[in-house]
Amino acid sequence: MMEKLLTKIDIQNECTYMTKGAQMPFCKGCGHTHILRKLDEALFRIKLNPEDICLVTDIGCIGLADYLFDKVHTVHTTHGRSTAFATGIALADKVLASKKLKTIVLIGDGGAMIGLLHIVNAALLNTDVTVLVADNFLFGMTGGQQSAFSPINFVTQTSPFGNIIPPLDLCKVAISSKAQFVARKISTDKDLVDVIAEAISFEGFSLVEILELCTEYAVEKNKLKGTDLPEIALEHGHQLGLLINEKLRPEFSKIYSEKFMDKPFEFNLFSQFLSTENVNLDQDKFQSKFGESQLEIIIAGSAGEKVQSSAALLCQSAALNGLFTTQKNDNPVTQGSGFSLSEVIISPQEIFYTGVDKPFAIIIVSNDGLNELRSQNYFEKITSDTILIFDESLNMPVLTSKMYKLPLRKSCGPDKAALGGIDFLLNLTQPFQIETFKNLIQKRFGSYENLYKEDILKYLN
Amino acid sequence: MQTSQRKIKLRNGNQMIAEGAIYAGCKFFAGYPITPASGIYKGMIDLLPQVGGLAIPSPDEISAIAYCVGASMRGIKSMTATSGPGWSLMIETVQYALITETPLVIVVVQRLGPATGGATQGAQGDILFTEFATSGGYTIPVLYPTNPRECFELTVKAFNWSEKLRTPVILLSDKEIGMTTETVDYSDLENLIVENREYIDPENSNFEDWKMYGFKDAKDIAKFAPVGGKIKVTATGSAHNMDGELKKNDPETISVLKHLEDKIQSHKDELIDYEYFENPNSNTLIISFGITGRTVREVIRRTKKMNKNVSSLIIRSLFPIPENLFKTISDKYNRIIIAEENLNGQYRRLIQYLFNNKEVIGVNKIGGMITPQEILEKI
Repeated sequence: MMEKLLTKIDIQNECTYMTKGAQMPFCKGCGHTHILRKLDEALFRIKLNPEDICLVTDIGCIGLADYLFDKVHTVHTTHGRSTAFATGIALADKVLASKKLKTIVLIGDGGAMIGLLHIVNAALLNTDVTVLVADNFLFGMTGGQQSAFSPINFVTQTSPFGNIIPPLDLCKVAISSKAQFVARKISTDKDLVDVIAEAISFEGFSLVEILELCTEYAVEKNKLKGTDLPEIALEHGHQLGLLINEKLRPEFSKIYSEKFMDKPFEFNLFSQFLSTENVNLDQDKFQSKFGESQLEIIIAGSAGEKVQSSAALLCQSAALNGLFTTQKNDNPVTQGSGFSLSEVIISPQEIFYTGVDKPFAIIIVSNDGLNELRSQNYFEKITSDTILIFDESLNMPVLTSKMYKLPLRKSCGPDKAALGGIDFLLNLTQPFQIETFKNLIQKRFGSYENLYKEDILKYLN
Repeated sequence: MQTSQRKIKLRNGNQMIAEGAIYAGCKFFAGYPITPASGIYKGMIDLLPQVGGLAIPSPDEISAIAYCVGASMRGIKSMTATSGPGWSLMIETVQYALITETPLVIVVVQRLGPATGGATQGAQGDILFTEFATSGGYTIPVLYPTNPRECFELTVKAFNWSEKLRTPVILLSDKEIGMTTETVDYSDLENLIVENREYIDPENSNFEDWKMYGFKDAKDIAKFAPVGGKIKVTATGSAHNMDGELKKNDPETISVLKHLEDKIQSHKDELIDYEYFENPNSNTLIISFGITGRTVREVIRRTKKMNKNVSSLIIRSLFPIPENLFKTISDKYNRIIIAEENLNGQYRRLIQYLFNNKEVIGVNKIGGMITPQEILEKI
């Protein structure tokens, strides 16, 4: 019966974090046995509190380790993802919880490749995770298939004539990912305990790739002995030993905490509401003019010319008048080029359906906008009452009885042409107290009067 | 005129999900950009540092959800958000959260599929895709708001149920809800109740009987112990007994696997969330959800003026399927219209067995919101 409380374990006297009497599940001579015993020795050397250790194991033979370590937390995960789960555990602990947890990943070479990006990102983050890669050059648990770590000419179940794909140099990948502690060791190395202990103690990401032999699938087919391992590594240009050990970058939580956590948190979700205090709410005025119908206004122009933010000011001013609004924006996926379009709906009652049925007004300030309106068939929706406000540069056929050709771009400049168009529409139709819109412009741009070089409101008549 | 008392902001659904998560006590978010869900990621990046939390960019959606599961195992309320293509990548890990009974909220803001589909086009095509993502057919609670205010409310609800049931919960949304900015009334949102997972206390007299995945009956949920705490955690994505030890062909292990489903089903009446408008003279009921629910509200508004009689049931808790609610309400009607923005009526095909001897009519469409007119034509 294992101890439920890790705090009750007296590691000073128990000498081991492993389960008493548990049998190693591995084949005779398997390097996994070495690695796990060395891990236990390393943990004992550091003498961490059992509650401050979490082993995160991957799929594969090395992932059978969980039940061998009953005096630490164990999390057995999905294939290749162990480093990602460990990253989440370590980030949460170091930034948001005890800050004491040491998170150790046990993963094979198969898992290291399918989860390579998780290793890369943990290294980039420099979160406090130690990845121990048990590299036996193949997938052992599934019958000895070749892996991305198989040496050239390596014979496996799936490379019966010898592997022809070169093996990955994981340590180089880790170093390229800005890892600061990386070592490649052999499972029988006398100093393996030292290196594992140092890796775990390292504050930040560390990785130790440990070369070993799968006695079941590698030894016989390839006529290999453990003593051949250094040579195999070197033949492929894979360096052995402690490859990097530096502390130029602090562990992730140190940087994050310094930047964000060292100040009082006074954030309040329920503040900064739109101030409706000084506004004469004008729902009734709106209703007397337009009944309960919703006003659908489309504003079309070019990306980068503040079409959508101008539409947002329209919504804000309508909302300040106690009206309901919706705003949908559309632009090409590249965001910064081509058309920019906003659909605004203003209504005295809650807006349920947010699509445009019969546009009340369309404001077009550039050719990009006009072309997009055409391609999205907006003009099929207009009625004879739809107000069309467009820049003088555009070649518009007569579509409705309410067409206004204005020097918007010339008078307001390209990036305020939409604003000018909206202002004209509001002056023309007076749907609510339009002072609020002027005030917003004033607040945003300093002055309302400066919006126009040439007064376009004279075209109202 | 009530307006001056209203607490109004201009917000879209994505922003309200982020704010709802903050309100619910979420302290960890991992995200990967994807339209139309990126606004939630951005919202959490802006908000979490202001409340002592951590929002982290991740290199893909698999990492995003795995980071969240890890953080939740450490005891931190966590959320991630994505759309269909990203959800595809998360399916392995959501099953891991399910079997390890790790609380987690995943937001899926739907866009047009399949594959990359249409990034900026709305859809309701992931109803089956989100719910039936587990091997073994386990029920993941799925909530689906119709507007930004409900986004806030249901995010809180999603966290509450995920914590109480120790399970992943999916919050569905769609492009039109997520990315349309609207006037949102915050009144009473600050009164929503936030619930947290129960932690096991080693001092508790019941501690000796406690097991991380133990239960006495279907409704019973084991109290939680975090990785890094005083109590040993043994977690595994493999079939396991009540102690979390990997086992196969073991009756206790099979009972744990069954309980994963039983715990959801036995709480399903408490999860129900809906809006019912009853017209006593109607023999037609429209069932809808999400963005289409808003179209139906507009339909009801118009039919009131047209002297047409029709009732509406907008369902906000899609899964577990509220069978009793559907049966009880549909009893009064002989025509059931089910409207959803997908190819062939994903939800309709799941629930129509509940409407024996009734005329069941689907209103379906892809590539754009269902219009009021399209539903009115079927009444």
